[in-house]
Amino acid sequence: MPSIRNQIRDLRAQREITQQELADRIGVTRQTVIAIEQDKYSPSLETAFKVAIALGVPLEQCFQYDPHGKR
Amino acid sequence: MAGLSYREKTLYASLVVEILVYGPYFFLHRQNSVNNVAGMIIAIIVLQVVLQLIIAALTRNRVTDERDRLIELRGYRAGYLVLASLMVIGLGMLWFHATVGHLPLDNPMMGLHFLSVFFGMLVIADITKTVTQIAAYRRTV
Repeated sequence: MPSIRNQIRDLRAQREITQQELADRIGVTRQTVIAIEQDKYSPSLETAFKVAIALGVPLEQCFQYDPHGKR
Repeated sequence: MAGLSYREKTLYASLVVEILVYGPYFFLHRQNSVNNVAGMIIAIIVLQVVLQLIIAALTRNRVTDERDRLIELRGYRAGYLVLASLMVIGLGMLWFHATVGHLPLDNPMMGLHFLSVFFGMLVIADITKTVTQIAAYRRTV
């Protein structure tokens, strides 16, 4: 399991927001949103906050840190 | 190509240009004049500019973000490591041949040979950089 996991896909689906719409809101490419959702890229703190704000949830509801996960 | 980001498209274009221009230069034994090197550099610049303009015109979303910058840095690091390694090997071989005494430094073609060798190192480092960046995009980092 990766050290940083996220619930972006579920939160996005609940709000019916597409990957491109989320990407536009936080100022990244759609490919970066895909990489974050697949736990293959850990975003910067700034982008993580932007994602949480765009989805209207606290940061820790979006991202979780597992100290035993591999990075 | 539709699933690729703007940066990925430009990287594939760069790789195609590098292979199209450097390939014939090195594999068809044309590294025998300064004019060929100058012509190749001009060809690279012209082809790159044309292809980048076409890609920019055809791509609506030209956003680059932190992941693009990270991948770019990884590519430059890989390219630098390859260039530094090749330089050390090249200088070591030069020192060896100069010490043993088989290096015909009075040969008028030596300068051109050195130019070709060091230019070849730059080309290998450049292609390494581009391939590393493409691989990072494919792995999604």
